[in-house]
Amino acid sequence: MAEKKFMYTVSPHLHEKGQTIERAMKDVLIALVPVAIMGVVIFGFNVVYMLVVSCAVAALSELFMRWIMGRRQTLADGSAMVTAVLFVFLLPPSTPLWVVAIGCFLAVAVAKELFGGLGKNIFNPALFGRVALMISPLAIYTTKYMQPFFYKSVGFFTPIQTVVDGSVAGRVVYKGITNKVYVNAVTSATPLSLLKSGKMLTTSVTGPTPVGASFLNASGRPNFWSGLLGFKSGSIGEVCVLALIIGGLYLIYRGTIDWRIPAGVLGGFLFVMLVTWNHPLYQLTGGGIWLGAFFMATDWTTSPMTRRGKWIFAVGIGVFVALIRLVSPLPEGVAISILVWNVLTLLIDRYVAEPRFGEVKKPWLNKLPVFPRPKPVTTAEKKA
Amino acid sequence: MKSFKGGIHPPYNKELASSRAIEQAPIPAEVVIPLSQHIGAPNSPLVSPGDRVEVGQKIGETDAFVSAPVFSSVAGTVKAIEDVVNFAGATVRSVVITADPDQPAFEGRSGKPPEDLDAEEIKAIAREAGLVGMGGAAFPTHVKLSPPKDKTVDIVIINGCECEPFLTCDHRLMLERPADLVEGLRLLMRAVGAERGVVGIEANKMDAVEKVRAAASKSPDIEVEVLEVKYPEGAEKQLISAVTGRKVPPGKLPSEVGCLVQNVGTAIALFEAASTGKPLYERVLTVTGPGVKKPSNFLARIGTPISALIEAAGGVTGDSAKLIMGGPMTGFAQEDAKASVVKGTSGILVLAGELVDVREEHSCVRCAKCVDACPMYLMPNFIVEAVQKEQWEKAELWGALDCFECGCCSYTCPAYIPHVDYVRKAKARITSLKKG
Repeated sequence: MAEKKFMYTVSPHLHEKGQTIERAMKDVLIALVPVAIMGVVIFGFNVVYMLVVSCAVAALSELFMRWIMGRRQTLADGSAMVTAVLFVFLLPPSTPLWVVAIGCFLAVAVAKELFGGLGKNIFNPALFGRVALMISPLAIYTTKYMQPFFYKSVGFFTPIQTVVDGSVAGRVVYKGITNKVYVNAVTSATPLSLLKSGKMLTTSVTGPTPVGASFLNASGRPNFWSGLLGFKSGSIGEVCVLALIIGGLYLIYRGTIDWRIPAGVLGGFLFVMLVTWNHPLYQLTGGGIWLGAFFMATDWTTSPMTRRGKWIFAVGIGVFVALIRLVSPLPEGVAISILVWNVLTLLIDRYVAEPRFGEVKKPWLNKLPVFPRPKPVTTAEKKA
Repeated sequence: MKSFKGGIHPPYNKELASSRAIEQAPIPAEVVIPLSQHIGAPNSPLVSPGDRVEVGQKIGETDAFVSAPVFSSVAGTVKAIEDVVNFAGATVRSVVITADPDQPAFEGRSGKPPEDLDAEEIKAIAREAGLVGMGGAAFPTHVKLSPPKDKTVDIVIINGCECEPFLTCDHRLMLERPADLVEGLRLLMRAVGAERGVVGIEANKMDAVEKVRAAASKSPDIEVEVLEVKYPEGAEKQLISAVTGRKVPPGKLPSEVGCLVQNVGTAIALFEAASTGKPLYERVLTVTGPGVKKPSNFLARIGTPISALIEAAGGVTGDSAKLIMGGPMTGFAQEDAKASVVKGTSGILVLAGELVDVREEHSCVRCAKCVDACPMYLMPNFIVEAVQKEQWEKAELWGALDCFECGCCSYTCPAYIPHVDYVRKAKARITSLKKG
């Protein structure tokens, strides 16, 4: 008995069951399953091809980057898969697979691994990849949106991709992998871009299957059910609001994300929209605010850690999204708002004070530590 | 139900030992009694090798105020006075005593009846009996009973939370000796001149709540408060905040808000010392865990080696992996079972199976679980980062000195970061830098 050797570790000696990084990443993937299913239902099997390419590229990028930098391989924690899936959900359903691959590489290799891997990145990797594509020469491939259920005319399993039409500048056509051109696949504006260009009126909707027709009812008001279920054009993961809410509530229930961030984003956004007297239904169901609030802004690494900081961050994002939609030339601003506040995260954590237990005067800002300044060397000392 | 903000809900596993009545542990053939078992100045030995000692004889003392004398826990002969590595890995001068084969019972002496003692007499008794906080911190009781002159204490709180998982010794004491506990509380109230006494008990010990309520039914100034089952409910500042709503400011003592907190075991030991003159040479502790065959609550002599107590509890199982002195959240892991029981030992825990969850440390993912769990509202991961970069000013800014090492942060950390270890490093470094 006395000879038996026991394990030595520092206290505490218990660890919360299942509280691991892998479990959290698995939770996010589970929460994204309904979104993925609705993505396939609305935009066809092409979504699956994109997911496969994205996941493969994410895994290879991470393996490669960690190998050349001599770091421990961490593919098993699942964070690369979360980035890959979220990245695809930010793209239009007809993005060419090679563009998906480039964007996913930028997301995982540049935004995440170059900064030091999980926990060290400043930007949300998926959003970084998306915005990098948006401001690159490849933008034309990722800014044209297909109308919902376009696969009814081209076939459910047909891979379809946006290809630049060389004859007319700024024009795209849709082709399959086999180079067959699908003329009957129709591009359509997203609800928000219609709104931006002032065309959100039933009378201005033209074409055989106009997007507005499924989104607006006869009186020109947005159709609540099509908005909620996602029968409108847009990015793969942003259209089905119902699936996003289910996934988000699951993550809050599991304790993986903090409810304060989605509440703050949606609250700040709605506040500005209501004050400026904009119809909240257009705005809430039209763009990516739900995907941003539940899955992007809540990213552990790129959001603040204190409760106060979380509120500032979340409300800030909500207000920024609203301002971009209302006063900038862009139709949508979720991605840019979140990236801007990602940068501010470290500042918020540093300066916004979390009042300690029992502090009588509760501070709002942290003091800077005073580092002793080196003494100036006097001439007398120099001579000596 | 009253509680505090923050904290965690670990698996409690109290049922392993909570139904076992307190038994007298066998008296070992040899006891090792460290001369310093408390926070404060170490004692000098009063005996030398070869001397005869009786049960309860004082064997170590010092003149310093913040200190507590130690007593022989057996009748026997002093074998040696030597440096021994204690449970926390520190080398402490200790008295080794060979016990006589038959041990006489301790002869109590009857002095003044406890109800006639005044404040100064109670403090003197606490000092003379070598009383320390028996929840684990081992802070000398008479020092706690002497708050600064400008502070008045109006509430004495007895900590019956026993929020550490697995441990059941305070629970058993409340069940088996509620009357002594209430008498001890009365003595404590008189020593500091408090008008109210509160026994704070977590809601998972309702049987103890009933017993203590019944014992205190004739005292209108003593009440029992049922508290939420949450760790660390029994931490001094959290308990005060839960029971009274008062918050002790950072770096201040409970007397700042007019409170005094004492452990169940300490209160009972004070009553024993006042009524029979019995010094603190034995204590109740729990030997438990999935790695112990027969979890038990023992009344064990100070200086008993851990191995003897584990044997008395049926020995360890084959898959036992971790031996801990104290509770699972704040206790000290032992590589072997050689260390001996001291005044602050509340339990001996043997972990096995899936409860032993040790992994390599991942870098912080900034999930903020530690910030949410911290009962002092600190930034544990920022302290860790500052320590890793050796930025001691920053470590202090993020609250390293306010941390009382409850371990909630590490418990809930998905990256398995041992925050408490980093905080200890920061504390040692910051205090040494401040000294100059």
